[in-house]
Amino acid sequence: MKPWRYPARWALFKMDDRLLMMFIGAIVGTCSGFAAVVLNHSLLFLLEWLSQWRQHWWAFILPAIGAALSSLFLEKVVKEGAGHGVPEVIYSVSRYGGLIRLRSTFSRLVSSCLTIGSGGSAGPEAPVVMSGSAIGSNIARFFSLNDRQRVTLVGCGAAGAISSIFNAPIAGIVFTIEVILGEWTALNIIPIAIAAVAGTEISRALQGNQIVFSHKVFDIDMGDILASIGVAVFTAAASILLTHGLRSMHKISGKVRAPLWIRAAIGGSMVGIIGLFLPVVLGEGYHSVHTMIEGNFSSGLAFVAIACLTKILATSLTLGWGGSGGIFAPCLVIGSLVGLAYHRALSMLWPSVDWVNEGCFALLGMAGLISGMLQAPLTGIFLIVEITGGYAVILPLIMVSAISATLCHYIEPSSFYLKELVDRGHLLRPGTDARVLSDLNIKELLETDCVCVSQNMSLRDFVKIVETSRRNYYPVENDETGEFVGMLHLDDIRPYLFNRMLYDAVLVGQIMNPHVETVLPDEDLSKILRKMDSQRLFSMPVVVNNRFVGMISKATLLDKYRKELMVQTSF
Amino acid sequence: MISRLLHIFQNTPMGRETLLQAAYFTKKLRASLTIYIPRHIKFLMYFDNDVVQVDLDHSYLVSPDTAHDHAIEIAREAGVEPSFIKPKHFTASALPDIPTDFDFMVCPRSISNLSSKLGLGYIGPKVQSIVNTANFPVLIASHVYKPWKNIVVFFGGSANAFNALKLGFLIQNITNFPLKLFTYAETSFEAYQKEIADQGVEDELGLRVEDWQFFESGNLTDYLYNVPHDALVILGAFNHGLIRDIMFGNKLEKIQTSITNNLLIVGSRYSAVV
Repeated sequence: MKPWRYPARWALFKMDDRLLMMFIGAIVGTCSGFAAVVLNHSLLFLLEWLSQWRQHWWAFILPAIGAALSSLFLEKVVKEGAGHGVPEVIYSVSRYGGLIRLRSTFSRLVSSCLTIGSGGSAGPEAPVVMSGSAIGSNIARFFSLNDRQRVTLVGCGAAGAISSIFNAPIAGIVFTIEVILGEWTALNIIPIAIAAVAGTEISRALQGNQIVFSHKVFDIDMGDILASIGVAVFTAAASILLTHGLRSMHKISGKVRAPLWIRAAIGGSMVGIIGLFLPVVLGEGYHSVHTMIEGNFSSGLAFVAIACLTKILATSLTLGWGGSGGIFAPCLVIGSLVGLAYHRALSMLWPSVDWVNEGCFALLGMAGLISGMLQAPLTGIFLIVEITGGYAVILPLIMVSAISATLCHYIEPSSFYLKELVDRGHLLRPGTDARVLSDLNIKELLETDCVCVSQNMSLRDFVKIVETSRRNYYPVENDETGEFVGMLHLDDIRPYLFNRMLYDAVLVGQIMNPHVETVLPDEDLSKILRKMDSQRLFSMPVVVNNRFVGMISKATLLDKYRKELMVQTSF
Repeated sequence: MISRLLHIFQNTPMGRETLLQAAYFTKKLRASLTIYIPRHIKFLMYFDNDVVQVDLDHSYLVSPDTAHDHAIEIAREAGVEPSFIKPKHFTASALPDIPTDFDFMVCPRSISNLSSKLGLGYIGPKVQSIVNTANFPVLIASHVYKPWKNIVVFFGGSANAFNALKLGFLIQNITNFPLKLFTYAETSFEAYQKEIADQGVEDELGLRVEDWQFFESGNLTDYLYNVPHDALVILGAFNHGLIRDIMFGNKLEKIQTSITNNLLIVGSRYSAVV
């Protein structure tokens, strides 16, 4: 291997590996920033190119074609499992030290571009997070970095991507720490911050330094702040509705006996049909969000409420039936519709009250929905502050985000991204019991210095072995087949030990315990520990195909556990 | 600890031959046979520093209801009691993760590519990815069940070749089958001997190697013709890079195309301890 492939050995980085992480973090942030810009431009091109046909009655077929092509691309060309990507990134960080396939660096960019560009109701942020994380992971792999460094670079990729696509570096950092990594340490925060800056700078250099959703100045008083509690309640309800909609659509589509691309096309065509009547539901929907925040959305309360429910349905159809994309952008659209509808309802009920401009409530709705769906209030707050360019609404923003996230947590203890991982026991945050145990395996805990004895061995011969051995447990094997038949503990021979007359009369096979609980080499350590606790065992034999391979003891396990915990929680 | 071999079962006549081969290998090495019966067309293998996605062809999903019984029947017929793995973790709902803490893995040729390429003995990029990434050697089974009674190590002096040589010593020690060394010379015999002395395996070589065939002239086909038909061929992976492989062809593929023996390929991450 060439030395340049091992930057950790460079004189500059030998002093402090944080310098190495900062250097590579900047590279990862730059690359993921580029990926975000490429996706953004591709989407704009596709949306513009297809706009010439959108007014035709048959335009409902466009989202169907896009979703089908997207599904075919993922299934047949890059052969990747469908999904919007963020749970996969969290899964790889939790379980495999951030290892992500090389193909993921581009696969979701192409597939989400096809889905969203053709009119599917989804967002480009999650795919770009997947892409950025995969870039980080593969750069770490190329430079042969260790697991901990790789995880940090995965975070750098995610931060660079979010920062670039929203021109929002703090949101990128907070999203990565709060949602992707789940830990805030001195070791990872600096490279992630540098990656976020790099991603933002790339975006600003190539697309200009623009505030995504600029708005008027809002004059907020106490009444508005109190009223914002209602926004939190309604956005929490919309979050739960969207979460359930996505899951139920996924279940329904799973029951349809058709290839994935056909299912995606069915979902896409249904979205297309909805879009014929309510074009606001199509695509990422940023234009509508912009109009709402500026206070120029002219439709009435009924229309806004219907548009909100329809957007939830369209997003569920797009993503639940196999289209590719994320939930960030739909959350912003739905959130702003909820906020707008709430403002109009307030104005209708109390027309004499001088409420703040409706754009402010649209903005609060966005924060509420993001915080509710992701159960990540800081991400909701900082994202909205950055993409709207001001701290004027920070107080109601904090309140809406906090209340919405809390209410959603009561109803759905896990966020949309984490629900499936939690259900399958795959969410393993650093420093937790489950994570420490998952990072250990039986092979490294195995004690192989055991002395196997034959079942036909006399007690006299066995005592000779005990004299020279340090162990208390002795596996007993069949002479002919070598199969494991039982265990002999020192306590088992105690009744015979002081009667030398029995030394030649008693055989090991007669006094051993044939009913021993055994474990397999691929068994979960948490299960093994539970077994040991429930049966008050201190060690257990590991047996494969009836052959004894070693012992696993509680003492060794706890010793390794402590060491692993120290590694995971060291700063 | 007892060695474990991972076998991906294909419920077809071709798969039967491969499983028989895997069972024979485990029996001879007193290893345990672990079988994975695929329920999905692809799976992931997470290694220490890389993740490899294996895309199977549809023949691996044929008759899933009878696969388990067939696998048990074939393995027992060969005198081996198999164990089965069921994926516990999934990266995506249709993308299971298969454990990688094995000592050997059987890669039939069709795991890597289309069945149409079987006749050419195409090793394919997937098997090469596994070989390059895994810390276990990969057994490329012959098309038809073929018990081996000899061990041949292709020794070229590289780091991988030394690992292959050490693995040859281990297998010879367990099986007591004669071990032969084949060298397609790129330098002098003395230079190879010096390298062997430097690596500290001189004594082991003298003890275990029955014959060292040293080819200084002739082409690769002539060299391969001398390999006994019933030998397990152990060789280190040749890492020449993608561009050189495309330009001049892959040496491993040439070997696999020319001989029908079982091949045990040792990658750079495997380290045999003698």
